[in-house]
Amino acid sequence: MNRHPTGFSILAVMGALVLPGAWALGEEELFWERDIRPIFKAHCTACHGEEESLAGGVDLRLRRFLDRNAQGIGPLLVVGQPGASEVVRVIRSGEMPKEGKKVSEADIGLIERWISAGAKHLKPEPESLAPGMHITEEDRTWWAFTPVVVSEVPKTFDEQRVRNPIDAFVLSKLEEQNLSFAPEADRRTIVRRLSLDLTGLPPQREEVDSFVADTSADAYEKLVERLLSSPAYGERWARHWLDVVGYADSNGFAENDSLRLYAWQYRDYVTRCFNNDTPLSQFIVEQLAGDELAAATHDSTQQAVLDPAHRDQLIATGFLRMAPDGTGDEVPDINLARNQVIAEEIKVVSSALLGLTVACAQCHDHRYDPISQADYYRFRALFEPAMDWKIWRAPKEREYSLYTPEERAKAESIETQAKAIEASAQTMTKQFLDEIFEKEIVKLPEAEREPYRTARATTEKDRTEEQKTLIKKYPSALALYSLDLYDAAAQKKVTEKIGEATALRTTKPLEGFVMAITELKEKIPQTSLFHRGDHDQPKQVLEPAELTVLRAPEIEPFKSAEVSSGTSGRRLAYARWLTSGNNPLVARVLVNRFWMHHFGRGIVGTPGDFGVLGERPTHPELLDWLADTFVKSGWKLKNLHRLMVSSSTYRQSSRNDMALTVDPENRLYGRFRLGRLDAESFRDAVLSASGTLNTTVGGPPVSIARDPAGRIVVGKEELDANGDVINVKSLGVDDFRRSIYLQVRRTHPVTVLDTFDAPVMTPNCEFRNKTTVATQSLLCLNDTFLLENARALAGRLRKEVPGDARGQIQRAWHILFCQEPTNSDITKSLLYLAEQTEAIRLKQQEIGLPKDGPPPDAHLDALASLCQIFYSSNRFLYVH
Amino acid sequence: MTRPALCSRRHVLHAGGFSLGTLALASLLREEGLLAAPVKPLIDGPLRYNLLPKKPHYEPKAKAMISLFMMGGPSQMDLFDPKPMLTKYDGQSFPGEIKYDNLAQASAKVFGSPWKFSPRGECGTQLSELLPHLGNVIDDITLIRSMHSGVNNHGQALYALNGGRVTAGRPTLGAWLSYGLGSESQELPAYMVLAHPNGLPTFQGEHFTNGWLPSLYQGTLIRPKEPRVLNLDPAPYLSGAPQIRQIDFLRSFNEEYGSDYPGEHDLQARISSYELAARMQTAAKEALDISSEPPHIRKLYGVDNPQTSDYATRCLIARRLIERGVRFVQVLNSGQSWDQHGDLISALPTNCMQVDQPSAALVSDLKQRGLLDSTVVHFGGEMGRLPVLQNDAGREKWGRDHNTYGFSQWVAGGGFKRGFVYGETDEWSHRAVKDIVHHYDWHATLLQCFGLDHTKLIYKHNGLSASLTDGQEARVVTELLA
Repeated sequence: MNRHPTGFSILAVMGALVLPGAWALGEEELFWERDIRPIFKAHCTACHGEEESLAGGVDLRLRRFLDRNAQGIGPLLVVGQPGASEVVRVIRSGEMPKEGKKVSEADIGLIERWISAGAKHLKPEPESLAPGMHITEEDRTWWAFTPVVVSEVPKTFDEQRVRNPIDAFVLSKLEEQNLSFAPEADRRTIVRRLSLDLTGLPPQREEVDSFVADTSADAYEKLVERLLSSPAYGERWARHWLDVVGYADSNGFAENDSLRLYAWQYRDYVTRCFNNDTPLSQFIVEQLAGDELAAATHDSTQQAVLDPAHRDQLIATGFLRMAPDGTGDEVPDINLARNQVIAEEIKVVSSALLGLTVACAQCHDHRYDPISQADYYRFRALFEPAMDWKIWRAPKEREYSLYTPEERAKAESIETQAKAIEASAQTMTKQFLDEIFEKEIVKLPEAEREPYRTARATTEKDRTEEQKTLIKKYPSALALYSLDLYDAAAQKKVTEKIGEATALRTTKPLEGFVMAITELKEKIPQTSLFHRGDHDQPKQVLEPAELTVLRAPEIEPFKSAEVSSGTSGRRLAYARWLTSGNNPLVARVLVNRFWMHHFGRGIVGTPGDFGVLGERPTHPELLDWLADTFVKSGWKLKNLHRLMVSSSTYRQSSRNDMALTVDPENRLYGRFRLGRLDAESFRDAVLSASGTLNTTVGGPPVSIARDPAGRIVVGKEELDANGDVINVKSLGVDDFRRSIYLQVRRTHPVTVLDTFDAPVMTPNCEFRNKTTVATQSLLCLNDTFLLENARALAGRLRKEVPGDARGQIQRAWHILFCQEPTNSDITKSLLYLAEQTEAIRLKQQEIGLPKDGPPPDAHLDALASLCQIFYSSNRFLYVH
Repeated sequence: MTRPALCSRRHVLHAGGFSLGTLALASLLREEGLLAAPVKPLIDGPLRYNLLPKKPHYEPKAKAMISLFMMGGPSQMDLFDPKPMLTKYDGQSFPGEIKYDNLAQASAKVFGSPWKFSPRGECGTQLSELLPHLGNVIDDITLIRSMHSGVNNHGQALYALNGGRVTAGRPTLGAWLSYGLGSESQELPAYMVLAHPNGLPTFQGEHFTNGWLPSLYQGTLIRPKEPRVLNLDPAPYLSGAPQIRQIDFLRSFNEEYGSDYPGEHDLQARISSYELAARMQTAAKEALDISSEPPHIRKLYGVDNPQTSDYATRCLIARRLIERGVRFVQVLNSGQSWDQHGDLISALPTNCMQVDQPSAALVSDLKQRGLLDSTVVHFGGEMGRLPVLQNDAGREKWGRDHNTYGFSQWVAGGGFKRGFVYGETDEWSHRAVKDIVHHYDWHATLLQCFGLDHTKLIYKHNGLSASLTDGQEARVVTELLA
């Protein structure tokens, strides 16, 4: 798909993204392979070369094909004469391309200049070309597709600041620009930065103090270890992964956005893996093919999930169940919905692990990257045995019960009793309606009573015309349905009876489920290429394979893994290849993402696109060194964290005026990137500071509700008889759980998180936006979430430092900013407090006493208003 | 430039220069003037949507719309659609087929309207005595007597009239207009909804949902009492002087921090965003405050009459919002207060009393300000009622059951004809029989007034091109247009 926002030249795009000095556009010589073919590929070759039939007989895939004449028009290309070349005329006149974006003026200019200069190409072209996408040498040697190369760690002038090779790679580039690192950040700054980075929570006051006071040489390393071993670490880094996989507690797609009740097991699995430092290679294999590791099929999974040795492997495959899935809901076109699930899973897998926009090749060959449509369907064939759209299993059919046989027997016996109660309720209803009928019928004229009685006793479809007319004449006498409308008291008795059954059912043992991807034994569907992505137009049958451009001896020809259970073994084979250490993308994509979370920007700025339209790495040697180190140290993420956060690159301050001038975007890392708290960290940090945060780990999601004003908040909806929300009830301490545990409902984003750019999973998120908009400011100024927490924090300050306004301000700085305020800071706040207390006192007199609640306390209100300012301030919202 | 896929649905509330975060102003400006409708989403991430004004497909008549929505189903044969046959056969057996909703109270007896009709205005349109004020502006409106949706439940009928299809979860009309046209105001939301003091209508938020359109296009609910906008109002003890002090202190606090990090544009942007938030508090407040309206305007709407006060205030606010560039305002009733299954004779006049004067005033006020030509005013519910009675338990208890096969609504301004009646029901006002206007025809026609082609105002949803009329055989009813 076209990712150009506007008609920029592709070359201009690439040119703009490389660092100064890499290469730039000038009046240099133009060549087909490098300069012209990408334009034709983006705009033309989908019809002129890549489909089975050539539009107008014109093939634009090779330079020499342009020497042919087009049907019915003049020569396509007259070397040296752009004006006489049909290819220029049809593009310039707007005749071509018939569909999609027009070729930009800049690109037309390039084509003309190329023709004028002789229409040259660099290398010999192939003798013959099979129909479809042609992968060139240039495609194969794209940086991201070539093997990871470990270069020598560069030398730097300043060796003092080089703590590990990361610093050498970064500093050598800085020094090329006559820059250096910013000074080391002070201890209070670094402890807040590190704590929020590794755990998503600000440090406790005592933790700051003890770190600042720790004079031992390894004080920083000890801090890193303590944070890495905190359960909050797993929660924080799981959250990053959940973005990439598109975690949600609802199915999306269909309009009712039904709940996905057991997704949380996958969320907890991810948290566990991060906390246990499970090798990422194992983590990936389990997620892609845990069912095959466990040798489970759809039929045996019910047994397998009860086995502790296999349960996590099956939960892990929830990864492939994360995409929106409307196939269990009412949708207009069920086959489209099924194929959409597969397409979305492919999008998740390919962007999460390969950093490629493979999804673009669903309908036609990729316009920019060497991924053909056939490649797309070969890739799809890896997953199709688990997601066969012709023998589909809806979300419910992919849930496997955690009931033991004993629990199941007990539940069944309770169900039998409940059904018996319901049957008796039905009998009651009939008796009541018959009694009503006896009263109603006497209102009819005598002569019509018996015929009416007979008509009523006759089933609807057997009634004669006369009987129907008779009933229509006295519609209210029928009394066959709607007992509630005739006799509310009778209905109440029936409802009570039904209530007994409901109550009984609640005594069943609680039934948990695992949401897993499995295959049906020995049922391997054929995968066909879909013409233009339309499942109703299947073309040639394709076998599973790695993307052509990534094929390597280990994976070519594709061989399924041996799986004793009789499933296809395709995903397991593919997962093993991905984690073999020889796939050029996976490790680079992973370390780039982890780097981005630590440093605020990826070495590749487009973490989900390592292709032609993505950015080039700012530090390619560093990226490869990290990828290599990561793989060699056993895919252990905690090692990588240690390496990154202990570097000088990470530990420098956020201010470096020289670097700012030369490199305002901070691509060279001449200072630590100042950045806003993400949505979850914001909410969690607010709760942590006010002292209300509940740190319980794991379990089913905390329910959310739409309050009467339309905000989505934590709580339970209280409904009136019409089913309308009258109030949102607190969940007690669950109100204060960490944000990762709040229910993620695609159509109901939690207002506080949504306002601060929490992603909506459609289907996943590789990169979070960080906006600065007025709605965030309105929320900070006026939302009850902020007001309540500011008041709680004020209460905490009063309790901890009673009767000492100066001490309270100081304490607030310690808690919120981890900083020591200056005298001037304190004085300003004291002045504010004094004036604000008076202003609020006046205001309170004006508005009078509240009807309920404690009497107004202007000083507390003023202190709360100061806390609110602190919460809303950049000093709190940003990490420096 | 290639940008990474952005996943947030946090969009710029009022874009021009207000958001200086990752969204560069330049890219916003580039989007300005882009045709709203066929923006193609990128495959791997949503577009960055905004509320800047967009050009429609062709020259529009209407620029804004006020929808006076009457949930429950106003009784057309008692208000808009006189039927002498009903009077003639009052109390006798209805000769045709009837589809009841409430069987227990169903009756086959014809219920003649208890109210008199008379010709009003120069056009001479027959109107019920329950709508005396509407009669005064009848020469400025088009009355449609042949509406049809064909689904008898409130929910499905509402979804049809508001979202184009009988299913829940689809974007509403206001969301489509905001998506297609953006907002003319840089200080107020594009789509605002004025709720009734007794609460929202049944189906609540479904009335103003963005469905699967980006949340930017969701209706902003204006609460029925002060504070009318959420988070616009400081806590009572902070409002006024204390909050000004608070914002002042926050500014200087932020500036001090910013001075440690010169050149960090995001820090500067956030300082501006607080300024803007502060401005919005006032701007929205000013728009929602009717105290500056002169006595003759208050009187025109009936602001000071206890019976009309609430509705008059909200109609007046609706006009003020439109004047300030808001695209779509919906004024809601509560529950389904027009759903008279019983007690019609006492309940219907009460309903009419509350809305008749304010809604007529809205038309004449917009007209005198020269705004009627560019503003559509719409009055109607999701259904109408049956010609037979319901609840045969004494005349004062009589009501009418649902009818979605033929009902009435009126519309004024924005390119619709004046003093015009369109369509007919059968002689019982049971089914629309002539010039039937299906809900989707109505939508296609409305969009036409806004310069939008209903087949081209599309949004990519689940791989399909989704639209308000959603491929139904909608017809632009050109006969309705001036």
